[in-house]
Amino acid sequence: MKYFRLSAAAALAFCVAPILRADAQTRYNAQPRGSSVRVDGTSTAHDWEMEGGMVGGFIEFGAGVTLDKAQAAPAGLQGDKVPAKAHVIIPVSTIHSKADHLPGVMDDLMQKALKAGDFPRIEFTLTEMTFKGPHTAGKSFDLEATGELVIAGAKNKVSFPMTIEPMDEGKIKVSGSAPVKMTAYGVSPPAPVLAGGALRCGDDVKIQFDWILKEKK
Amino acid sequence: MNKKNELPESTRRDFLKNASLATMMAMVGGVELRADDKAKSGDSELTKIPAAPPINVGVIGLGERGRQILIQLGKLNTDPARENKENAPVVAICDNYPSSLRRAAKEVPNAQKYDDYTKLLADPKVQAVIIATPTGTHKDIALAAIAAGKHVYCEAPLANTIEDTKAIATAARDAAKQIFQPGLQQRSHPQIEFLLPFIRSGALGKYVMVRAQWHASTSWHTAASTPEREDALNWRLHKATSTGLLGEEGIHQIDTVSSFLRGRPLAVTGFSSTIRSYDDHRDVPDTVQAVFEFPHGVNLMHDLTICNSFEKAYEVYQGDEAAMMMRDFKAWLFKEASAHEGGWEVYARHDRFYNETGIALVAGASKQTTLAGSMESFNPYDHEPLYYALDAFTDKAGRQTDETKKFYDTFPDGSVADLLDQLKNVPALKNKPAATWQEGLDATVMAIIANQAAINKQKIVFEKEWFEL
Repeated sequence: MKYFRLSAAAALAFCVAPILRADAQTRYNAQPRGSSVRVDGTSTAHDWEMEGGMVGGFIEFGAGVTLDKAQAAPAGLQGDKVPAKAHVIIPVSTIHSKADHLPGVMDDLMQKALKAGDFPRIEFTLTEMTFKGPHTAGKSFDLEATGELVIAGAKNKVSFPMTIEPMDEGKIKVSGSAPVKMTAYGVSPPAPVLAGGALRCGDDVKIQFDWILKEKK
Repeated sequence: MNKKNELPESTRRDFLKNASLATMMAMVGGVELRADDKAKSGDSELTKIPAAPPINVGVIGLGERGRQILIQLGKLNTDPARENKENAPVVAICDNYPSSLRRAAKEVPNAQKYDDYTKLLADPKVQAVIIATPTGTHKDIALAAIAAGKHVYCEAPLANTIEDTKAIATAARDAAKQIFQPGLQQRSHPQIEFLLPFIRSGALGKYVMVRAQWHASTSWHTAASTPEREDALNWRLHKATSTGLLGEEGIHQIDTVSSFLRGRPLAVTGFSSTIRSYDDHRDVPDTVQAVFEFPHGVNLMHDLTICNSFEKAYEVYQGDEAAMMMRDFKAWLFKEASAHEGGWEVYARHDRFYNETGIALVAGASKQTTLAGSMESFNPYDHEPLYYALDAFTDKAGRQTDETKKFYDTFPDGSVADLLDQLKNVPALKNKPAATWQEGLDATVMAIIANQAAINKQKIVFEKEWFEL
């Protein structure tokens, strides 16, 4: 009976709160399904958005890192820092306009602006992952990511908030939002020729992402 | 009144000068149906889609058809309307007959020459192959090409037997990472793409029947310097190696009609005869008729001959409210006087030149002036149907290769199922219509069976499993 009670409790804990645990380094690889990236921008006429579903790369957590949602104090941290490496890849040509009218025009403009022929990927390399504050048991992990973002071949240091949500089947969802100034990457905000210069995208855009990864066994 | 909608006055002299088939059609109530040439030509800033990445092409079989393919690929690669020129370079050609190889090489001097298709398939530069060899040889080459990871365009009919056709279709289905396109070139023609939804929307009322003809005055015989070469060149003349007129020529009309009627025929009854005398030992009839029974009592009456070219090739679709004639990739609508107003009139423009008919279905303003001239002489599509089919094939192959590389660069451990899921989200892959392996299987089976029915002068009921893998 004792055995049964323990097993039941363990199973319940597993179902309610999947745990991201590692005795050695744990690598999570990006999954082709379920991820999304969204770029929100403005223009002299109206706001616009573009969306993609291909977010590649990996996250590797250092030995001993255990992100258990149920626990208030995650294990394996170095102070408030999470020992981790991460690399994110987003192919530029997989991000498409959500406009109802002539989405291909915006796709074309954006790919040209981002020099997709020469620099087909947007890439991010993590340098630091920090807890934003004390973790609340049962909630997703609130973190601050810092790293190098490469757009159109130009590199800048960026920091942005993100969350990690352990999921079933050894998967995690990393979500976040990073503000980007296009001109900081040498990108001229697109302006459709058809609009005769009357329409120009704003310099500031926001990149939002939901990134699904799975533990590599 | 909007000036743009006004047409030039047509004088009586102009009218008589153009008193041709087109004019007669206008007089009897023919309304021309035409797609928007501007939107399809790719020159519109608003509608353009980023050009497909380049794809290296190899052509196997350099007879008359193979040379036509090289010419059309040459046009594709130099078409000023295409944003990305030279994106379907022919990097290799193959024929086992040396003089055919030499002659074709003049068209593509930079292509590597091979006398054996297995050598061409082993060439890593070749990413896509076009198979234009005699029908009976398609299977071995297509299976080897698919196994070698190449994208494949295989001329229609796919094979001489249902068994071989299924073998090709099965390999094509299972190689989902690669493009397989049967040479049903009508499927890629902009005019068919335009007409298909229009006709399927019920513009003709209830289908009554369909007539199709393919008439030519020719012999199908090609002379050669040696008897062996003559035998090899004239494979279409012998039942053992040929699917006859219904297979080698009729297949395109059979396919188009099936597509417009949205289904396969239930049975076919055939007739055949050899009218002329030939001294080339042929056993393939030079004149055939076939009646295809489609569901709901709609029959296709199809006749083909190489003994008389009267009215050449066309199809007429008759419904109880209107008839549509398709000829040289142009289409005219003839409405019954008693016909109800259909939804399509919403898009129609009243046309002063055709006061008798009053309605023209025209999408682009650029052709309004040309309507005042001869409809017969005006063709908004400058190219052969083969051009559009090869355009679709190389476009899809280029995009799919690029998307596949992008996928595996991003997800090195990704599965084929995941890749296919991603490819579904690439709208540009569906940008240009093209026949699928299933349509290739269907059309080839219909043509093979129709040919058998014609040769044996019998009725054959189509069996469902012939079309299933």
